[in-house]
Amino acid sequence: MTETLLTLHIVLALLVLFSRNLLTAVIFLAVYSLFSSLLFFILHAPDVALTEAAIGAGISTFLYVWVIRKTRDGVAS
Amino acid sequence: MKKTDILDVISRKLAPFILLFGMYLITYGHLSPGGGFQGGVVLASGVVLLLLCQGTDRVQKLFPLPVVNSAEALGFLAFLLMGFAGVLFGGGFLSNFLPVGKAGEVPGAGFILILNLVVGLKVGAGITLICFYLFKE
Repeated sequence: MTETLLTLHIVLALLVLFSRNLLTAVIFLAVYSLFSSLLFFILHAPDVALTEAAIGAGISTFLYVWVIRKTRDGVAS
Repeated sequence: MKKTDILDVISRKLAPFILLFGMYLITYGHLSPGGGFQGGVVLASGVVLLLLCQGTDRVQKLFPLPVVNSAEALGFLAFLLMGFAGVLFGGGFLSNFLPVGKAGEVPGAGFILILNLVVGLKVGAGITLICFYLFKE
């Protein structure tokens, strides 16, 4: 189970690195955070899993999406 | 931005439960997984959900900006005061001076419960403030 999740982590990290669209990269990063929170839970660290799920998949995705939206507006105008 | 009914209804039904779960994480932080920081982040994510789905005006009627601002500053002050109260009444910085009850009960934790509440207030108000100011730009 752990090995499968770690392989998935590598695949998702490569997808984040090589995706051309910034929004797609952010969504892949959120999925990466979700799976790493699952990995922390399997490794008996529920505290870290809670923090990773709330910050990694929630708040930081919001911040990244908002910043991408603002910078695109700045470039267009 | 166009707002749909789905976002409106889901955020109204879901946000109170997220806020309640954040308070649960803070108050039961010494017994089960969770604690001040995690509970504060969950509280802030509930406010961010409301902010995204309901708009700035309605959220800031519920959580006014000056109140959140002063809560963020007063949380740090309260943390320092609790730490130095440990110097005055107990052994050293952040040491327990409150009576400790039976293990496994929520009010029996003495110092830790108050410290978790203060940290949860500070972290929740801080992340909410970041999102407020970012949204206002």
